Amino acid sequence: MDPFETLGLPRQYDVDLAAAEKTHRELSRALHPDKHAAGGASERKDSLNRAVAVNEAWRIVRDPIKRAESLFALLGTSVGEGQEPKADPGFLMDMMEQREALEEAKASKDAAALRALATAIEGKQRVAQQELAVGFHNGQSASLVGKLGELRFYRRFLDEVSAVEDLLNG
Amino acid sequence: MLFEIYDPKAAPRPIGIDLGTTHSLVAYVKNEKPFAVANCDGEILLPSVVAYDASEVVVGTQAKKGAAEHPQSTIVSVKRFMGRGADDPETKRLGPYDFVGPVQGDANVVRFRVGKSRVVNPVEVSAEILRELKSRAEEELGRIGGAVITVPAYFDDGQRQATKDAGRLAGLEVLRLLNEPTAAALAYGLDKKQDGHFAVYDLGGGTFDVTILLLDDGVFQVKSTGGDSALGGDDMDRALAEDMLLALGWMAADNTKANSLTPHAKLTPGVVRVMLDKARDVKHALTLQESVEVSMPIATGGETTLTMTRRRLNELVAPLLDKTGTACRRALKDAGLEAKDLDGVILVGGSTRVPAVRAYVQKLFGKEPLADIDPDQVVALGAAIQADLLAGSGPKAEVLLLDVLPLSLGIEVGGGVVDKILPRNTSIPTAARATYTTQEDKQTGFEVHVVQGERELVRDCRSLARFTLKGIPPMPAGIARLELTFRVDADGLLSVHARETTTGIEQTTLVKPSYGLDDETVEKMLMDALDHGEADLVARRLAEGRVEGGRIALATRKALATDADLLTEGEQPAILRALAELDDAMQGSDPAKITGRIEMLDGATKAFAGRRMNRAIERAIGGKKLDDVSRTVATARGVDAHVEEHRR
Repeated sequence: MDPFETLGLPRQYDVDLAAAEKTHRELSRALHPDKHAAGGASERKDSLNRAVAVNEAWRIVRDPIKRAESLFALLGTSVGEGQEPKADPGFLMDMMEQREALEEAKASKDAAALRALATAIEGKQRVAQQELAVGFHNGQSASLVGKLGELRFYRRFLDEVSAVEDLLNG
Repeated sequence: MLFEIYDPKAAPRPIGIDLGTTHSLVAYVKNEKPFAVANCDGEILLPSVVAYDASEVVVGTQAKKGAAEHPQSTIVSVKRFMGRGADDPETKRLGPYDFVGPVQGDANVVRFRVGKSRVVNPVEVSAEILRELKSRAEEELGRIGGAVITVPAYFDDGQRQATKDAGRLAGLEVLRLLNEPTAAALAYGLDKKQDGHFAVYDLGGGTFDVTILLLDDGVFQVKSTGGDSALGGDDMDRALAEDMLLALGWMAADNTKANSLTPHAKLTPGVVRVMLDKARDVKHALTLQESVEVSMPIATGGETTLTMTRRRLNELVAPLLDKTGTACRRALKDAGLEAKDLDGVILVGGSTRVPAVRAYVQKLFGKEPLADIDPDQVVALGAAIQADLLAGSGPKAEVLLLDVLPLSLGIEVGGGVVDKILPRNTSIPTAARATYTTQEDKQTGFEVHVVQGERELVRDCRSLARFTLKGIPPMPAGIARLELTFRVDADGLLSVHARETTTGIEQTTLVKPSYGLDDETVEKMLMDALDHGEADLVARRLAEGRVEGGRIALATRKALATDADLLTEGEQPAILRALAELDDAMQGSDPAKITGRIEMLDGATKAFAGRRMNRAIERAIGGKKLDDVSRTVATARGVDAHVEEHRR
């Protein structure tokens, strides 16, 4: 499926999420099974299938990683486990250092250090997303796959920070 | 008092039911306003208590009165056991019941022994409560239509399925399972007509839910939800009861272990029941007073007077409230909001009457919470509004609830780790696919284990179902491709489809819940429950057929009136003919004939309905790339063949 088409969006990485959310809501208003509950069996089934497609599309488009994966797939570049090139050694080195810093901050329960680490990663995340937006816009595809790996790494890192912060906040 | 004249031709009225832990109630909409139904004694709340004696089943106040005398044959707070396994920790907590283990081959559900030769499960007990509510509604309304039944937002798939089964067992047409906080928001939202972000804090008898939602121009969009399906006012009662049992010598604290209590030799299920009831009374009294004196039996014989203070109650409930706070913070974070961004906080559930709870909520969100609709009724009133909307009888065409999946769904992969396929807080209905491969050479089967929960390890999540996809030809490891499709409907219920793609072998495997009852069992229970078996069943099918036929005929006539320009040559006469034939069948008394005519009408309107939906999409998306959009939205129908209503 093409989630961009389903939501009436151009096939690009840069998405106006607020506008897309509005479209999702309006499509839901038109297609949600509740709106067709009084109809016959085929209408109910049809509305359910279409509502499922709209929600699935929105789930993909709103998520920066799933959005990229979907664009790669639509452009014919295979991504996913075992199909992507190995990450750049410099990047891996850098991330190992960040991880060690995270472990330290976790052990010393240093909330300020945790926040600072998260902010730095969030910055890198924005840069990678920007690069994906520009790259896709210029018709690149295979050469961008590494950026997807970076985004996945940043997300795991931020999830971990978030889990530790929850722990510290009780 | 004016009695309304019962009109046998009046359209059946849809109802909303709050099936609660401590009490339940039913409501309906009249002249666009929801009303709760009272029984002949003027009572609106039906205690969710079911008593079984040798000859009959008693539900409600009478059953509650006998609970202390018959603690094991009187089931109180059955909701806590819905959709749970016999081995669940919940079944082992302080309580007076006589549980029966599953016999080999039986479904893994809780079973209560309620008499010498009588064993019942939570679905059957809940169905008794629903039957009682149904007859109350029928007494007031004459004919009732379909029902919306509410569930805690945080209920998992097994608990939802059990609730739906109970509805069917009670002879209700379950239009929808609706999340309780969403129902409450609907009742408030339509009342206040205010847009913005709201938090619903719902502390009921046995469950806690928090939901963050956005109200925008008639759409109630749930942003996030969280909670604990085993935390509520009952836990306050239990904490108080334990405190009193300790003070009275019925229990002794084990100093070597924290939170470990040793019961006195004379502590019987009856005493536990009495103490839980007294605890509830004490809690209620402390809502208005600072302290209360109660007369209690002591372990060594005789009675004594115990003074309980609000301060002590506050201490006892503090750990419970902290648990709700953690869930609230997470829900806010999931919604991408902070407490200050909220436009309002809504209180739901009788337990929010406890002053400590209100104070805690106010502090947590920094806002005076709204509680002007009775917190015991607000959920049922919202359910009635939703039932009215679904039946298409209400004029509120712009209102829509967009709900989410409360807990992530995934499958077990190597090393007991969960691979999440659908994350929590995804808008429903929805679907997702994931592809896996074989680990070993010549592997001919895939073991699929479906789980629900947020934790990374399978053992910390709820196991929903296990099944095996068989018949894959032997291939080297890593070659086979297993595609799993998860599909969640608007009730939040899951179905899973598996197929192996490289060999072209297509195999459909439907998930059978590991906790819960299969369709056959429910059908059998339904037959057993009907007094006159076959005859009753035909009468019921006829009534159901007429309700459905009437609804579809009405919707079709509306559609013909509003979208006449979309009809093709010859389509209209065919539809009108099918409508006339359906009307004719509904005058008769053959349910099969009605079903057949409904199908014929469906065939005659199918293409027209598709065109109408395309028009709706065009309008929603603002005229952009119309053809493309309707085409892609229409192509996403590959999964229906196998998941089609398999739950029914």
